[in-house]
Amino acid sequence: MRRPLIGLTSYAQNVQYGGTDLLAGMLPMSYVKAVHATGGRAVLITPDDPGTDVLESLDGIVFCGGGDVDPALYGAEQHPATEADNVRDTSELMLMRAALDSGLPLLGVCRGMQVMAVATGGSLHQHLPDLVGHERHRAAPGTDPLAADASSFGRHDVVVREGSAAFSLLGERLTVNSFHHQAIDDPGKFTITGWCPDDRIVEIIEGTGPAFQLGVQWHPERTGDLRAFSALTEAAARTKMAV
Amino acid sequence: MRPVIGITTYVESATWGVWTDLPTALIPQDYVAAVNAAGGRAVLLPPDDLDADVVGVLDGLVLSGGADVGPELYGAQAGPRTVTRPERDSGELMLARAALAGDLPVLGVCRGIQLLAVAAGGALHQHLPDVLGHERHQPAPATYGRQEVTFVAGSRLSGLMGDDRGVHCYHHQGVADAGSLTVAARAGDGLIEAVEDPGKRFVLGVQWHPEVVRDKRIFGAFVEAASGRR
Repeated sequence: MRRPLIGLTSYAQNVQYGGTDLLAGMLPMSYVKAVHATGGRAVLITPDDPGTDVLESLDGIVFCGGGDVDPALYGAEQHPATEADNVRDTSELMLMRAALDSGLPLLGVCRGMQVMAVATGGSLHQHLPDLVGHERHRAAPGTDPLAADASSFGRHDVVVREGSAAFSLLGERLTVNSFHHQAIDDPGKFTITGWCPDDRIVEIIEGTGPAFQLGVQWHPERTGDLRAFSALTEAAARTKMAV
Repeated sequence: MRPVIGITTYVESATWGVWTDLPTALIPQDYVAAVNAAGGRAVLLPPDDLDADVVGVLDGLVLSGGADVGPELYGAQAGPRTVTRPERDSGELMLARAALAGDLPVLGVCRGIQLLAVAAGGALHQHLPDVLGHERHQPAPATYGRQEVTFVAGSRLSGLMGDDRGVHCYHHQGVADAGSLTVAARAGDGLIEAVEDPGKRFVLGVQWHPEVVRDKRIFGAFVEAASGRR
């Protein structure tokens, strides 16, 4: 039987590699490997190609991390530290709304979780240091805050609400990495089911209906804990069977 | 629904924004734009050699450019200038074979024509300057060589291309033996520039880069063939 096909929203971004500098459709391989390791087949969805027809081919979708969501989309003035990615915003809001309408299993990671909130009428805190007075949610790029020898910077616990889907999946408490400077203020139509116990920053949101809809503020794809990806591919496999 | 066109990706250690040397699946945006302009919906296919089942949801497959094909795949030893990506080779050969078996429209570009030739039992020149004595196919780093090619009379490609024979090349390897494929174009120096399989609905490999000019003659015919699949 065919593996569930999992779409990953990707960047259109200038990249440098091997002496080349070009505009590329791209995504860190960590996302691809997380999908393949949990039994899915990853395809990348580029943001410059309008339309949601691609969803018909997919069994599940991951809204991946990246730049900030344009504050205008939730009715706020832009903070000086906010760097919006308008191309991805346009494409991903369209894909998000269509995926929610169709009940396609979906996982939001970091920015992707924030897109879930904004797409359903929610809003974001634009710069966490202004709110919580520290930068501990933003680990240095390229570091692994969960490594045995790492400092606690960019690493914290998440407490999960008992009885939630996230609780069944992740248990009551886990330790996560953290690479973000924005966070959810209002989760839109989703329910908040996980927080950072130190500062009450929202770390998990989930849907209220039968469809698999989970958003996490951390980056499971950069860790050995792929339970969120496993849950997505399993939900995608069930959806595929039901079609 | 637009035809879904899978494009194979590079995997390179890339740097962007605040990130440095992160393993990244990427494809020059030109490919996506060319597929999009021709009416297709592009999805990118990072390498994966567990199975080729993804071909079942595609209407067409683009085998993209990139590093050299592993010479062991056509029975040769690697030359000193050959730089390979084994992860791409195994995943893409699997995709190419499944697509060909299912008569899915396939367009091979640069590395892609070379992969098609290898999949068809052919072989490659590992460094063209050693064979041809000139560097016109790759004049300088990140600089396309402009060439005029000659289309083989009666080929599908000659029917598509008309009188404009100018192409953009950037490669140091080339097809030495097209295997079971038919040669559809040659450069002035005799090098194979395009191959096709007249027995299939649409199988075309070009050594040049039609995506940089969004060449609708090629991408249009390819996406049209893909549209007819459903």
